[in-house]
Formats: sequence, C-alpha cells, structure tokens
Amino acid sequence: MVYYLTNTLMLQVSNLSFGYNKKRLLYKDLSLSLEKGSIYGLLGKNGAGKSTLLKNLVGLLFPKKGHISVNGFTPHKRQPAFLETVYMIPEEVYVPSLTISGYMKLYAPFYPGFDKEKFYQYLEQLEVTGPDKLNTLSFGQQKKFIIAFAFACNTEVLLLDEPTNGLDIPSKIKFRKLISSILTEDRIIVISTHQIRDLDHLIDQVIIIDQGDLLLKASIDQIATRLNFKVVGEIADENKVLYSEESLKGYSIVAENTDGEDSKVNLEHLFNAVTGNAEKVKSMFK
Amino acid sequence: MNNTFQVKRFGWLLRKTFLERKVQTLGLTALLLGISLIIYAYCKTVVGFGPAQNLTFIWGLSGGGCFMASFVFGYFGSNASGISYLTLPASIFEKWLTGILIGVILYPIIFLLFFRLMDAGFVMMYHNSLDPASFSYHSDYASVYTLPFNGRVALRVYNLFLIFTSISFLGSLYFNKVSFVKVALVFCAFCFFIFTLNWIIAKMFFGDIAGAFPFREVSISIGKSMNPEEGAIGMPERIFQITEFFFDYIMPVCLFTLVYLRLREKEF
Repeated sequence: MVYYLTNTLMLQVSNLSFGYNKKRLLYKDLSLSLEKGSIYGLLGKNGAGKSTLLKNLVGLLFPKKGHISVNGFTPHKRQPAFLETVYMIPEEVYVPSLTISGYMKLYAPFYPGFDKEKFYQYLEQLEVTGPDKLNTLSFGQQKKFIIAFAFACNTEVLLLDEPTNGLDIPSKIKFRKLISSILTEDRIIVISTHQIRDLDHLIDQVIIIDQGDLLLKASIDQIATRLNFKVVGEIADENKVLYSEESLKGYSIVAENTDGEDSKVNLEHLFNAVTGNAEKVKSMFK
Repeated sequence: MNNTFQVKRFGWLLRKTFLERKVQTLGLTALLLGISLIIYAYCKTVVGFGPAQNLTFIWGLSGGGCFMASFVFGYFGSNASGISYLTLPASIFEKWLTGILIGVILYPIIFLLFFRLMDAGFVMMYHNSLDPASFSYHSDYASVYTLPFNGRVALRVYNLFLIFTSISFLGSLYFNKVSFVKVALVFCAFCFFIFTLNWIIAKMFFGDIAGAFPFREVSISIGKSMNPEEGAIGMPERIFQITEFFFDYIMPVCLFTLVYLRLREKEF
C-alpha cells in the first residue's frame, strides 16, 4: 500500500473498513482520493453511510482497518493542527446561548484563517441578523449562521452533511450562490446529501455510495462524456439504457454515450442509473 | 504548532467552556450549594451538628462533584454539541485538563469556601444561643465546632470525591444520554456485587458472620446466647496500608488517566 500526497491530492482514503458492528462492516476496503479545488457531491440513499464517511474524514469515527490522510494528517488523532484546517457542518447544528458576536469571539480564535469581514458579509447574504441569542433563532437561521461561520473560517476542507435540510427555497438558492463563490484552488468541499436536486449546477465531482460500496467517483465532464442524458420518443436499444422514466415527451433516459453526443447531466437520473446498474457503471468508469 | 498543549489555546478553551454555558454552570453550582445549605440546616436540628456537618460535607463534595463532573463533559447528550466539542481545534489534553480544572479544582474550592462560611455561621449561631451562666455552657460550647478540613472525615471524603468524580467523568464519556443516571445505576450495581461477593466469601471462611465490609473488616457473632457478642477481624496492618494507599492514590490516578484515554478514543 502506498500513501502519497501531491500538490493537488488532499484527501486520501486507503482500504477503509468501518462498521458500527464488528461483524457487519458498512465499508469494506473503500479507497478514494479527493483533489483540491473541487466541490464533491457525496450521494447515497438514506443509511448508505454518507455521514459515516464524513465522520471518518473528520476523525469522529475511527477506521477499523485502512488509513485516512487529510492534508497529511491522520484524522482520528484529532490534533489541533488538523482540526483547524477542517470544518464539518453536521445535519443538526449546535449553537449555544450566545449572540453572533459572542459566538465569534469565543470560537473564531481557534481558526487562524477566520475572516471577520467575510463572516458578516456571509451573514448578510444569508440574511441572518439581529442581536438575539443564537439558540432562540429558528433551525434554518441557526443552520445558516453555522454555514456562514464555517465558510468564514477558511478551512482547507469543508465537509457539509445535508446542508440544505431545514433551509427554505430562497435560502437554498443563496446557499448555492455562496458556496460556489468560496471555492478556491486550495480548498476542497464535500457536500453529502440525499436531496440531489439541491446540488444541480453546484458540484463538479460526483461520488455515489451505496451499502458502503463506492459505485461512482467521476467529474461531471467525465460523466457527460460517457453517459448520455436525453429524452426519446421510444427506447430503441434497451441494452444501452441504464435508466429510463416516462416523461411528457416520451422517455427520459440515461444511456451509454457511444456517439459522443453532448448532454446535460441530470444528477437525479444519474443516481438512479448508477444505483440500479452498479456493476455496469463501475466497469464503464474504471 | 504544539499539538498537546499551548497556553494561548488552553486559555481560549477555558474561556469558551465558561462563557458558552455560564448560566448553566453558575446555576448548577448555586443549586448544589443551596442543597448543601438545606441538608445542613435540616440535619443539625434532627440529628445534631456532627452528623449534619459530615453528611453535608459528603453530599456537597462527593455528590456535588459527581453532578459537576457529569455536566462538564455533558456535550455528548446531543449529536450536534458532541460533534462541535470533538472537532473544536484544541488538543485532547487541553479538553481533559479543562474538565479537571472545573470539576476537580474550581468546584471543590468554591464548595469548601461555602462550607466553611456556612459551617462557621451555624456554629456561631449555636454558640451565641448558649447561656454563659448555664452550668453546662463550657461543655456545650466545646461540643460544637467547625469541621476540620484536615480531620479524619474530611480526608476520607476527599478520597471519595476523587473516586466518585472520576467515575462520573468516565460515565459521561461512555454514556451519551442521561449519563448521570446510568453511571449511578452501574455504580450501585457494582457496589451491590462487591458487597454480596465479599459477604459470601466471608461467610464461607468464618461461618456465622454479623457483617462484612469489603477491604476493611468482618464482624463475627460470638456465642450462642440470645445476645451474642460481636467481634471484628480486620485485615493485617500491612495489607490494610497497601489497600488504603491503593484507594487513596493509585485508584484516583488510574481513573483520571482512564478519563483522558477514553476522551482520546471517544467516537461519536
């Protein structure tokens, strides 16, 4: 087994085995590498192990076997030098009984890259204001507050677990705008969600996992090259179709892109195609 | 960067720990001290000064220390606060030390100061209530005095405090929800097991026993009359000293080390 880091490689999972129960492993020999400068969409059904994977990456859970390296650190050691470079926003956020400025004064010193100006700018963009104690805000407001704080910390790794849960539609739109604006060349963002539509036009890399198995890890460009997303009146060759569903104009299909056609990746259809034809898709993207 | 201890970072952590839950921390401290005051005031009128002082001291230091310890590491009651706590960029040693500082150093100092004031106040009130012209004035006056902090009872309670507090710390790291109740149940079950086992073994060895206290002595009934006498068999002096040393020093150190190790290995 070789562990290596290059200028672009930031996060390396090698032969990860993990399970809450020793006899039933959720992940077995999972290997994955993520590079800087990308927004990854981590997709999977409920209970597929998305949050578990994120928790392993941030050091909240420890691999039973294998190794994880984030920026050269081993997450499970939870060293301050590592923790100040990574921020995880869990599905449910914790805010103490503090005001916005009180929270910033107590928490920001731990993150050397924290930018106060950006923090207030993000809060404004997400429309989180007021002198109230944070714990009196609505769940959505609390979540937006934590999102603004996390983004302002300027950590190199941002892990977001179901970030759009609890956000109303305008807030989701603002969140999408904000997240695309904070991506830099030396940053990596992983967004885990089962609300696939929320990630449309936002991510440039897709990771799909199911039952602890990595079904797909590819860029949107790679997917568009190898798969074709289109609407057809009739399905000509069923063998080439990975997924189809009836639509107003016929059938929306995902098929092998044998003719080099350009098409727009539909994440929801992609997800269904991959989870329904795991082995075939794996071989296509090898 | 020092990944084990940094004064500046430790200061931030300490400040954060106090200020983010200051109402709860102060409220819990006030509650524990208030209960101590009630116990003292009630017990001194029912069972007298000596038992009241002892009971309050045991409750306030050992019992209160348990509650405080459980509160200090109470972040794991919810998924969100547990994640926030464990991913905060401070070292495990600093997080452990913050817990120890609050539960094992600051709380006892506050309690001892409060106890001394309360004890001295009640003793003074009692002394002032005595009639100097009374025949028993001097003996009554001398019979009630403030609890010495270096006396036999106090020293024993300090040891209990360290053991109970460390167990409470450990419990709050093992059990995420209602850790205090779970720890209390496990501790009671463990004590019941130890006492029962000790009693069974003593019974096997000595036959007709009147009582048995683990790691201390066995009381034996002597004679077959209606009112048999009791005799106590203690442990040999040397073994007793070793046992005392173990409970006074080795066990608390081991338990607090376990707290650190458990925090380091805590998965959430």
